[in-house]
Amino acid sequence: MRKIKFFEALDEAMSQAVELDKKVFVYGLGVNKTTKVFNTCKSITKKYPKHIFDTPAAEQALTSFGAGAANAGLRPVLIHQRIDFMIYTLDQIINWMSLWHFKSNGKKKMPVVIRAIIGRGWGQGPQHAKSLLSTFGYIPGLNVVCPSSPSEAKGLLLSAIFSDDPTIFLEYRELYNTKDDVPSKPYFIDFKKPRIRKTGKDLTIVGFGPTILKALKAMEKFPKNSIELIDLRNLRNYDEKVIYKSVEKTKKLIVVEDGWKDYGLGAEIIAKISDQKINLKKPAERICWPQSHVPMSMGIEDDYYFDENDIIKKIQLVLKK
Amino acid sequence: MSQYNLNLYQNLYLIRRSQEEISKNYHPEDKMRCPIHLCFGQEFMPSVLGLFLKKNDAIYSHHRSHGYFLAKGGSLKEMICEFYGKANGTNGGLAGSQELSCSKINFNSGTILSGAFAMAVGDAYAKKINKTNSITVTVIGDGGMEEGIVYESLNLAALKKVPVLFICENNLYSTHTRVTERVVKNNITSKVKQFGLRTLKLNSGNYEDYISRIKKEVDFVRKNKKPSFIEIDTYRLGPHVGPEEDDHFKFRPSIEKNKWQKKDPLTHYRKLLLKKNINEKKVIKLEKKINDKLKEAFKFAKSSKYPKLNSALSKNYSNTFSKVIKNFFKNRADFSTIQEKHLPKPY
Repeated sequence: MRKIKFFEALDEAMSQAVELDKKVFVYGLGVNKTTKVFNTCKSITKKYPKHIFDTPAAEQALTSFGAGAANAGLRPVLIHQRIDFMIYTLDQIINWMSLWHFKSNGKKKMPVVIRAIIGRGWGQGPQHAKSLLSTFGYIPGLNVVCPSSPSEAKGLLLSAIFSDDPTIFLEYRELYNTKDDVPSKPYFIDFKKPRIRKTGKDLTIVGFGPTILKALKAMEKFPKNSIELIDLRNLRNYDEKVIYKSVEKTKKLIVVEDGWKDYGLGAEIIAKISDQKINLKKPAERICWPQSHVPMSMGIEDDYYFDENDIIKKIQLVLKK
Repeated sequence: MSQYNLNLYQNLYLIRRSQEEISKNYHPEDKMRCPIHLCFGQEFMPSVLGLFLKKNDAIYSHHRSHGYFLAKGGSLKEMICEFYGKANGTNGGLAGSQELSCSKINFNSGTILSGAFAMAVGDAYAKKINKTNSITVTVIGDGGMEEGIVYESLNLAALKKVPVLFICENNLYSTHTRVTERVVKNNITSKVKQFGLRTLKLNSGNYEDYISRIKKEVDFVRKNKKPSFIEIDTYRLGPHVGPEEDDHFKFRPSIEKNKWQKKDPLTHYRKLLLKKNINEKKVIKLEKKINDKLKEAFKFAKSSKYPKLNSALSKNYSNTFSKVIKNFFKNRADFSTIQEKHLPKPY
């Protein structure tokens, strides 16, 4: 199988989406200029220039524009080169897009994808590195999809574009240069199903996006078939039973989350396990960012984020007899 | 022209009478339990648009939307059911008055001031891309015109040259705050013009004159597939929200209200019809028909069933996909097994 990078997989998905359906169009600030969104809009700009356009800096109107176009039958893909710009548009996402299907009693559809890139790392600092996954995971009606590998980047993006529900598509910039097998034909992934990346009997780790790669590296230090790793892929509207089944088997749980601790994914998953009255052998643990804004300085940035060694320590703690 | 006027009068009368019936039934019954913004005094613009819009044209309205809904041909029964929160309402009882919508007549609305206005630009873009002959109309108030998203949207519409007709109903008040307290210059149209948009301000002249100028803009947008903006001076003769009068708050001078009361288009058009030798019996017959329809709609709504909670909870996601996916995998495995079939083992 052919190996390509994460960003190339996204690029391929974008132009194949138009190939499959001429109702797809892509827009956002500078999307077809210079770096073409870190080279993820390169082939669509070349092959389908009529399906991609640059815009004024008007995030709010652009978001509503997508909502209106989707309501009239198109499939818009709006791109924010940093998720922090998307915060301009909370009204459009929360008050309009997320509840459009609900308030129409299921008669109207809202097939919009908003691609948002999370800067995390390389001094991106307070206004370029936030993850904000639980901000959107909190909202009914949204899918919040986050790929962890190149093949999933392609399949999940294509699925999001052809889904009839609005999707916030989170891309961690740190994954852009990861390389892996990716089929060249278009394909789709059911993002409602969390993916079991490794099976194991002693401990369940739940993660998403870049935490999967870190967890996989950490797990190399432990025996095979010991740790079960679940990639959520969609942070809302997913099949929860996949997690319950795993934790019922292992009776131990760690949630790894590239985001803030309070009200985060870790809090949510651990609460869900508690709701299910699944008895754990050890208290559930979570690995997250500190409860603080992201610092820029090269001197402290690495310490702010966790790495695979932090995951290894946590695993050792939980697996200790 | 006489049929023209009769149709217009029919719209005006239906809108006015429905507002009256909603007011009458709201208390003490208290069964229409949602915020309702009545459009007393603002019936003219929707009634006129109703004459010129086609089925596939879309409307994106502000929260004071009943007039536009009815003039676009929306079902009176379904609208009243929606206000009563009944399952057979336009939105299954999940939205209420201020978020009324209906796919059958391409009608959308919402109450967070300017969101619908902004969506209309994208809708019009779709109409242009799909090479249809349809247009998108959006209505906003002078209060809504203060939101930043409006100016972003006007710019986008001008830039992308989409077939959207913007309408601003300037009724001087944002809830109870007069326009002079909110802006230094009450010159909406000239601000909009700066974006390179075609504009029209309707603040002088008679109703007949207004109608032909509105028609001209509808035709312009349809023919040229370009945006246009109309500002019309109008007045809310009723309360801001609900049936309770709010004049005791003394937020507007009574002399101002009286002036607009005298210009009431409903009274004007009834007189005009009779003057143009339309038999009064014919008018009364039309009015009776509307009143019967209203009676029936309220009776129907009151006896209709509420939605089920479980059904409402299931409406957050469609969980459906485009036909493209189905076609692509027509002869392959079903969707749920695609993941295993087509994906390599990552890393």
